[in-house]
Amino acid sequence: MKEQMELIKAKALEAIEKAETSVELNDVRVRFLGKSGEMTNVMKGLATVPKEEKPAMGKLLNEVRFAIEGALDAKIKAVAEAEKQARLKAETVDVTFPATFKKVGTLHPVTKVKNQIEDIFLQMGFSVEEGREIESDLFNFQLLNVPKDHPAREMQDTFYCADDIVLRTQTSAIQARIMLEKQPPIRVISPGMVFRSDDDASHSPVFHQMEGLAIDEHITIGDLTGCLLTFAQKMFSEDTQLRLRPSYFPFTEPSVEVDVTCAMCHGKGCKLCKGTGWMEILGAGIVNPAVLDMCGIDSKKYSGFAFGFGIERIAMIKYGIPNIKLLYENDVRFLNQFND
Amino acid sequence: MLAPISWLKDYVDINVSPEVLAKKLVSIGFEVEEIIYQEKSASKIVVGKIIEVEKHPNADRLRVTQIDIGSGRIQVVTNVPVVGGETIAVALDGAVLADGHKIVKGELRGVVSEGMLCGLEEIGATIDDVEGQNKDDIIRFPEGTALGANALKTLGFDDVILDVGVTANRPDCNSIYKLAKEVAVALKTDCREPEINYSTVGGDVSDFVAVDVQNNELCPRYMAGAVKNVKIFPSSHKIKSRLHAVGIRPINNIVDITNYVLTEIGQPMHAFDLRDLDGGRIVVRNAHAGEEIVTLDGKKNTMTENMLVIADASRPVAIAGVMGGENSGVKDDTTTIIFESAKFLNSSIRRTSRALALRTDSSARFEKGIDFASQEYGIKRALTLIAETNSGEIVDGFIDCKVEYAQVRDIEFTTKQIERIVGCKVLKRTLISILSRLGIECDDNGTSLVAHIREDREDIVGINDIAEEFIRVYGYSHIKPTLFEYSKLTKGGKNAKILFVDRVKDALVSLGLNETISYAFTTPKFAQALQLDEGDKLCEAIPLVNPLGEALSVMRTTLTHSMCETLAFNITHFNKEAALFEISNVYIPKALPLTELPDEEQRLAIGLYGADVDFFTVKGVIEELFEKLSIEGKYQRASLNYLHPGRSAEVYVNGILVGHVGEMHPDSAKFYGVDNRLYVAELSIDRLFELINTTKTFKPFSKFPTMERDLAVVVDEEVAVGDMLDAVSGGKIKYLTDLTAFDTYRSDAIGKDKKSVALSFTFASLEGTLKDDDINGEMNRILSILKRRFGAKIRG
Repeated sequence: MKEQMELIKAKALEAIEKAETSVELNDVRVRFLGKSGEMTNVMKGLATVPKEEKPAMGKLLNEVRFAIEGALDAKIKAVAEAEKQARLKAETVDVTFPATFKKVGTLHPVTKVKNQIEDIFLQMGFSVEEGREIESDLFNFQLLNVPKDHPAREMQDTFYCADDIVLRTQTSAIQARIMLEKQPPIRVISPGMVFRSDDDASHSPVFHQMEGLAIDEHITIGDLTGCLLTFAQKMFSEDTQLRLRPSYFPFTEPSVEVDVTCAMCHGKGCKLCKGTGWMEILGAGIVNPAVLDMCGIDSKKYSGFAFGFGIERIAMIKYGIPNIKLLYENDVRFLNQFND
Repeated sequence: MLAPISWLKDYVDINVSPEVLAKKLVSIGFEVEEIIYQEKSASKIVVGKIIEVEKHPNADRLRVTQIDIGSGRIQVVTNVPVVGGETIAVALDGAVLADGHKIVKGELRGVVSEGMLCGLEEIGATIDDVEGQNKDDIIRFPEGTALGANALKTLGFDDVILDVGVTANRPDCNSIYKLAKEVAVALKTDCREPEINYSTVGGDVSDFVAVDVQNNELCPRYMAGAVKNVKIFPSSHKIKSRLHAVGIRPINNIVDITNYVLTEIGQPMHAFDLRDLDGGRIVVRNAHAGEEIVTLDGKKNTMTENMLVIADASRPVAIAGVMGGENSGVKDDTTTIIFESAKFLNSSIRRTSRALALRTDSSARFEKGIDFASQEYGIKRALTLIAETNSGEIVDGFIDCKVEYAQVRDIEFTTKQIERIVGCKVLKRTLISILSRLGIECDDNGTSLVAHIREDREDIVGINDIAEEFIRVYGYSHIKPTLFEYSKLTKGGKNAKILFVDRVKDALVSLGLNETISYAFTTPKFAQALQLDEGDKLCEAIPLVNPLGEALSVMRTTLTHSMCETLAFNITHFNKEAALFEISNVYIPKALPLTELPDEEQRLAIGLYGADVDFFTVKGVIEELFEKLSIEGKYQRASLNYLHPGRSAEVYVNGILVGHVGEMHPDSAKFYGVDNRLYVAELSIDRLFELINTTKTFKPFSKFPTMERDLAVVVDEEVAVGDMLDAVSGGKIKYLTDLTAFDTYRSDAIGKDKKSVALSFTFASLEGTLKDDDINGEMNRILSILKRRFGAKIRG
């Protein structure tokens, strides 16, 4: 029996030595240590060993068993490590290969710039209101101090739906609605689509404006300047400067055109600003007292400023978009660029 | 407004460059759109002297000339019959002519030519612009003219013209003289008035003509003067060149004088031939309906009753303020003229001019508005020019029919009030002095100032106007920026609807869609594209009265059409796939034609195409959007003409229809010129906004293991899986936390018009770990619901 055990031990150790995979090692375990394995069979034979030899044989049996188990465990560990290493090696990928991912969408550049402008004015206590796109002549013109036959109507080419119903030519149309609804202090911006019957290389019959209106007991051109300077510096860059030029709009008096230092060259003069260092971006002024009175706000007590500018123009400056028409073609190769 | 600087200089001394002048004008509110240098209308054209002329060896009609251009000699081949010794204008190699044509050295029939002899056309001038030249001939200079000098300058074609943008509140500045007054303000200097100086030969204008103004609302003032023994001849070079420089064609001395006064003073004038005024009468009256008049341009105009005409005793002789009649204009043999200098109501002139499609310098000027001071000044200035040019004998007196008007308006104000508008310190003496420079004199009565506004400044009506006059001259650069120094704080913020739209947009962007914006108006053919039936509500699109063209002539009632156009644009522009959305209004009229403002409804359109896109891709976008909005969509088969009948659905939230989703009908897709399958959805943002749940509360969830069971049942083909899921959801099944369908299978074994639907259920309990026994009963209940409601059988 002793010889038998030695033989099993030798066979087992040899089998362990030969085995190369965890599957083979498991076979070895079953063959020698399993329920009907060779070692088990030997152990069953222990019953027939004379009583006095039993302790020695038992001891030997255990020694053999431990030797096999020890060798087996060591080999299993080694094989598992080798197999892990082999798997990791096999799993190597080319990390430079293009990834699979879900495409991220984009907001339209006009929306992006609109949001950015809104954020700037929200921080200055402005609220956002949106008005109608098809508007009555009353709100689009008359309450803004542009009666019928006023020469200022020439300034804007208006689309008509009916005699007294127009596509709003300016977001200013919402001014009157706001003023008729609430009393000062008023601080509102209103973005939106506007319409002019003007269609050439540099004009689109549909574009977007941002209107601003602030009314309180003591609003000055200084406040208008400060507010617009804050906007321009946050929108373009901290060193942006402002220049006001006298102009005319029926609903403001005094009226100004506002230029900012060129966003590209910071005022030095470049192609974008045609060498002037300045870019015209908006019209503004002190709300005409006649407009306040027509809209139920006491012009003796209150004053205000208003401004309006084209969102497309700001977007085109910001992104260097050469042609306003690109904004309305909606080519995905154009739209995909605005994922900033 | 074109303003030659030489003309401005008649009234104001200008000692700065045109560029500096332009900047100064801009700073006080007059945009200078362009500075036009006459001498730069062509380049590298110099004075040359022909030294030698020889016949061209290879061409009978050509000559080879040697020309001395001061700095040297050049050879020029020409077909002009020039002779030696003549001084001419020659374009050198590299010259650019007025029409943009470039002159380059080259060979003409084998002989080198280094330039070209020039006529007036080549330099962009006419015989009205320069003296002593002939039409259709080359430019010739007198003997002794400096050679090599700029030919345009030598000709005196060297004025600088400012193109000034005059704002609508300053109609008075559409004249050289009033603009000169502003130049004087800008340059801090004085302005001279155009001279009034003539003598009359006695008589009385009323012996020649009688004026009867029958509508003084449309004609608040009508002045008439008479000139007899008129001689008609071409105007002087000065008048002709000035008129031509501002874009007016010189005609003869009398017509030129009326146009000169229009440009100089801003007062439109007209001259009638007295012989043509029947009864020696001028009647200013409304036209009779259907009355006809042939104007000076030869056009026959049919008048309506709201138009104003100038008539004689029997017939109309002019359309008031617009154009004179062919029957009464100045002719070569005219001997007595009646000058008209009138004020017509601007709105009346505008309407008439529009209705007749007749725009003239006169009507344009009247439309902008003419003040009461100009009529008298204008007619006196015209008579001064008659005298200056010896054009006739001036009859004594004027006829002047006018309504009452205030000659001077007073505005009382304080410096404090001005400060409150402009926001900077205002010194009283600075204020008074600036206003005085602008021709506004003030009385200082200690506590306040009273400004006297003359009638030519109709735009100044209140303190804000005074503030503007002050600050535009004082300079906006004096104002320091402040940020609501004297104002109350305001809350600010966006309203719930705007925030909702922002949220929808952000959600769609995160799903990989690009936002688009398209025009709010479209072609009426959209109805055809969408195959709409005649009575379909969507066909009721508001038409524009004055569209840019048919393609942009109706306000859209649906976004789907625009979305399809955008998808098609991308397909035809080589983009393999697109996933787009737009949030915009549609316009729903209450009635057509429009009598009141229409409803504007905000909509969301989604559009997709591409190799991996199908119905469930676009439905998936909606589902994911709804997930982000925490609302649940239900779908029912839709039947819309423009959607695929088998692949389109109505979308419901809380039982309310919010829109549609589906594949475009192939017939509609074809209209957009593409074969691709287009997937679209259009949902009402307004309705979704009302349906979103704005309050969220925590719901407990099980911490124990979940159990999952699958079930495959066979049902009839037309059974909607969504209905099956809804039925189970609503069946009060215990422990059921989630259910979905994951497969549909059809085969012969299952049977014709049958399908097998594989459903998956997830169970969990808040109290403990579930056992099979807990679930078996619930699965049986599920099966019995499916059997009862849908005739479902367990798939064997």
